[in-house]
This record gives sequence, structure tokens and C-alpha cells, in this order.
Amino acid sequence: MKRLLAGVLVLGMAFSVTANAAGDAALGAIKGQTCLGCHGVKNYNNAYPTYHVPKLAGQHAGYLVAAMKAYKVGARTHATMYGNVVDLSEQDMQDIAAYFEQDGK
Amino acid sequence: MKQLIKMVFAIALVAASTSVLALGDIEAGKDKSTACAACHGVYGVSASAMFPTLAGQHADYMIQALKAYKTGKRNNPIMQGSVAGLSDEDMVNLAAYFASQTGLKTLKK
Repeated sequence: MKRLLAGVLVLGMAFSVTANAAGDAALGAIKGQTCLGCHGVKNYNNAYPTYHVPKLAGQHAGYLVAAMKAYKVGARTHATMYGNVVDLSEQDMQDIAAYFEQDGK
Repeated sequence: MKQLIKMVFAIALVAASTSVLALGDIEAGKDKSTACAACHGVYGVSASAMFPTLAGQHADYMIQALKAYKTGKRNNPIMQGSVAGLSDEDMVNLAAYFASQTGLKTLKK
């Protein structure tokens, strides 16, 4: 019985992790409005140096969150991206990433 | 006149060769991409949320990302190890291959 209880507890924890990891795409669509200024324009270019801003629709949410965090802590340096993610919470990132992931489908 | 023709020919040749280099060789990139496939998928559609899908991504964005991993401007140990042996030409070819696949899109407004 104790073991069953422990099992249920672990299962419950697993569910809470997935719920948190999933992100809310509908909220992300609101929080991610600013992103569309660059990432929502076909063939839009980064300036100095010039290259296309990456396509994000259909990208894995988990990867997008990791990328946003990397800009926030400076493991990836990009002034505009830093400015845009510095005030985002973990949940904001999850929501925005969920929205981007499902937009490509 | 002869000199003019020669000059035009020379300019055309240089222009053609640089544009080929900039666009990259998709087949050569495909050959080089076997190491990438382990994480990013054979056609650049990754099966794991840890690794980005590359299929359909802009080639020039991928080239600058690969270069940033090589110099350490993007700090990622796995990618830094993977790009260490790549020449600029390899990067251009790999980017051309993954860009030619179907996958990522621009976000809809």
C-alpha cells in the first residue's frame, strides 16, 4: 500500500512537470505579439551583420525555451533578443514557445 | 573589343562562382550531414525537443549560428565540438541542404 501511494505520488509529480512544461499557447499568442515584429515577417533581415531572422513556426518548444534562456544569461549574445527576453519569466517562455511550436502545424 | 569581351567573361565567371559558393552545394551538404542527423534528424526534423529542427530554416541564419558556435560566441559544448572540424564551405553546404528540406515556417501574424 505504501509502495502504491509512493507510486501515485511520483506519477502525480510527473504530470505536474508535463503540465508546466507544456505552456499555454493561447496565452503565448498574447505574450508573443512583440516577437512577430521580426519573426512574423517573411524573409525579414537582422542588421549588422545581415542574415535572415530564424523561422520559428513549428520549432520544438523545449528548444525555444532553452534558446530564450541562453539569450537571457548571455550564453548567446544578441542585443535585441536579450532586451526582449530579459523580463520574461519561465512561464512566459513556456507559453510563447508553445504558441510558436503549434503555429507551424 | 577583345579586351572588353575578356573582361565581361571574367566578371561573369567570378559572379557565377561566388553565387554558387554562397548558395552552397546541397548534395555535398547532404553527404556531410550524417553526423548532424543523430540529433537533428536525417532531413533536419529533430525527434527531440532538446534539439532544434533545421529543415526549412534560412541558410544564412544557420551559417552565422554555426560560425558563432565555432568561435564560442554561442556557448554550447555539443555544438562547439561538432563544428570544430567544419570549414566555411562545409557550413555553407550543410546550411544549403537543411534549408532545402521542408519543415519550419515564418510565424503567422
